[in-house]
Amino acid sequence: MNSDELQLKRASKAALFSLLNLTVLPVIGFIILLLIYQKSSSDSIDHYYSVIGIKTNVFAGIALLLVSGLMILLGGFDSPWTWVYVVSYFTFVHALFILFATWVLVRSWTGEKLKKNILSK
Amino acid sequence: MMKYESQGVAKLYFIAAIGLFTGQILFGVVMGLQYVMGDFLFPEIPFNVARMVHTNLLIVWLLFGFMGSAYFLVPEESERELYAPWLAKLMFWIFLVAGALTILGYLLVPYAQLADLTMNDLLPTMGREFLEQPTITKIGIVIVALAFIFNIGMTILTGRKTVINLVLLTGLVGLAVFFLFSFYNPDNIVLDKYFWWFVVHLWVEGVWELIMASLLAFVLIKVTGVDREVIEKWLYIIIAMALISGLVGTGHHFFWIGTPDYWQWLGSIFSALEPIPFFMMTLFAFNVVNKRRRDHPNKAAVLWALGTAVMAFLGAGVWGFLHTLAPVNYYTHGTQVTAAHGHMAFYGAYVMVVLTMISYSMPLMRGQKAGNQKAQVLEMWSFWLMTVSMVFITLFLTGAGILQVYLQRFSEDPLPFMVVQEKVALFYWMREVAGLVFLIGLILYIYSFFAKGDEVVFAED
Amino acid sequence: MRETFTKGMARNIYYGGAVFFLLVLIGLTFDTVKGLPKTDNSENMTELVAAGKRVWERNDCIGCHTLLGEGAYFAPELGNVYTRFGESTEAIKGFIKGRPVDGIKGRRSMPQFNLTDEELDAVAEFLKYVDGVKTARDWPPNVQG
Ligand code: HEM
Ligand code: HEM
Ligand SMILES: [Fe+2]
Repeated sequence: MNSDELQLKRASKAALFSLLNLTVLPVIGFIILLLIYQKSSSDSIDHYYSVIGIKTNVFAGIALLLVSGLMILLGGFDSPWTWVYVVSYFTFVHALFILFATWVLVRSWTGEKLKKNILSK
Repeated sequence: MMKYESQGVAKLYFIAAIGLFTGQILFGVVMGLQYVMGDFLFPEIPFNVARMVHTNLLIVWLLFGFMGSAYFLVPEESERELYAPWLAKLMFWIFLVAGALTILGYLLVPYAQLADLTMNDLLPTMGREFLEQPTITKIGIVIVALAFIFNIGMTILTGRKTVINLVLLTGLVGLAVFFLFSFYNPDNIVLDKYFWWFVVHLWVEGVWELIMASLLAFVLIKVTGVDREVIEKWLYIIIAMALISGLVGTGHHFFWIGTPDYWQWLGSIFSALEPIPFFMMTLFAFNVVNKRRRDHPNKAAVLWALGTAVMAFLGAGVWGFLHTLAPVNYYTHGTQVTAAHGHMAFYGAYVMVVLTMISYSMPLMRGQKAGNQKAQVLEMWSFWLMTVSMVFITLFLTGAGILQVYLQRFSEDPLPFMVVQEKVALFYWMREVAGLVFLIGLILYIYSFFAKGDEVVFAED
Repeated sequence: MRETFTKGMARNIYYGGAVFFLLVLIGLTFDTVKGLPKTDNSENMTELVAAGKRVWERNDCIGCHTLLGEGAYFAPELGNVYTRFGESTEAIKGFIKGRPVDGIKGRRSMPQFNLTDEELDAVAEFLKYVDGVKTARDWPPNVQG
């Protein structure tokens, strides 16, 4: 395997663990993502995808955990309205992050960068 | 533009499907209003009547949609004309007349009288959710289904066999087989409920997924030009996961109906895996669109295909998972949370896959490769209006459901059902507004078929 | 997907998985049906209860109500209505019989079904029987259903 292929493989691995961190392997997925990032040299495609993964997950962490946490704090644990907002918000926004990470994964498989609209190539 | 002339019978089926879809939505809007203005149309059209019209129209038009899709797809995949086009036309009219009579029966006579008129006592099957049809209508459905399966089965068996048409056939045979459980209606309520799910669950979370995946695969091959080998591998693994998770996953309906406790575990674990096939459909659709070999002029069809994958994942996968674990379902069972999920899942998976097939095939049956510019723009607008309003319907019902769960089931001092309903009325009003937007989207959708405009320019072939 | 994972393998997982789990479901179904008498209140199953189930179906009660959480969400749960109405079939019958023909202005109303006395007896008895089904964790969570 030449180094290009190796990089591509690591790139899709990064995209995969970004998705896994958002779903069934929280925290563990992120640690692996950091390791891939460490091993990558800047300017390479695996670097590119591990950075996207890290950014996505940090952003998701803030948008989901922090914002939900704030909602609970401000709304009060015993108020039904708190849960109306938290559950709907968390479920929907979480799903959006998963969909985004899925698209990133698919892009990483072809070794291209993100860019461009899906409907017009 | 069609490869085989007999594919054209699909057009009849699709027109009927869209017509009945419109009826479904009109009654949906009526019910949405009855939710907040209880006496609306009472006693002429009581809620339960509106509801059976709404849900039965849904099922019937989806069946029209599946049949039309199969009639379009199978000749092309099998590389031969339909075995008996006349039979397809005959069955169309029989099904349409039987369906229309049944709906009129719901609306024009009291349900108990309809039961008498159709001699329900000989073989009582009526009066169960989604299976409200008179026994004689059910028998009619079986006959139509058999003739249909015979027709496409013979086409496939005497033609080219592809993974796509065989998976589709398996799904359709499964649909017919599991419908037979609708004739079993024991006095024992626990048994009744247990086997009722063999129709409902094993349809939407079993064999219908086979139908959906094969239709999606077909359209994706056509619009992306991606290699069949790749697509078939995906198809197999998706339907494998659907059945591996979905069969025992039926257990998520056996938590609170007097069935053994082991279902709490089995149902929770296996149904927690059910999002996987829906997620894989998203991955699959994203992947082949990303790897497309050509840009098909029918952009609307590509949009519908991607939309199906995404919305089925949201409605079935995400909103299904939300309430599928027994400890959660203990509180949410039979609340507006269920209704939220039911709407987005049915829309995202089955409504949208049928509309995808229609979007791809209708222009071909009308002698064009794709609709004209204006028609496509309108169709894409209708896509967004219907899809976004369905997201809002789901969110509002989820909000209503959470509040309902809290006030009626979770709180220290639970309130009566009707009291709670008044407290969440705001959500029902918002749902109704979103429902009206959905209706506007649907009207626009129908209008798009008649829009005139510039032909699209083809990049290749 | 990786080239090492072939279409043949995918197909075998499909066939193997589908057949295996279908058999598992059938096996579990036999076990469930065999064990039901412990929970399904069939010891109280009578002719009257069976007739009551027909009344329940003939009037499409499930089109507004849930029964053990399944049905429509427009009107209250009835799987425990016998308990909610103070374990009185008379109260249930009285309620059904008393529905105004033209409904209650501005509110969700239940239709007047004009049931005969026999039908009323039967359907009340049916609801009492359903209340006797032993559901896990005694679902619904409380008397409000
Ligand atoms: C496209 C596929 C699906 C469709 C069309 C669908 C539709 C529905 C509908 C209409 C109901 C209400 C049934 C009733 O009237 O009692 C329902 C219930 C339910 N669904 Fe789905 N569903 C789908 C997939 C899923 C998946 C994948 C899951 C789990 C991950 C799931 C979990 C549930 C659960 C737990 C209930 C019971 C809710 C309750 O206890 O009240 N569904 N579904
Ligand atoms: C215009 C928008 C719509 C409105 C206002 C609407 C309204 C309703 C209402 C009020 C119910 C009865 C809930 C109950 O039992 O209390 C219902 C049930 C149902 N509707 Fe709709 N509906 C709409 C569109 C749709 C669409 C597009 C679909 C299919 C994709 C659909 C599928 C269903 C199903 C499957 C049920 C049974 C749900 C269950 O048992 O959980 N509806 N709808
Ligand atoms: Fe299910």
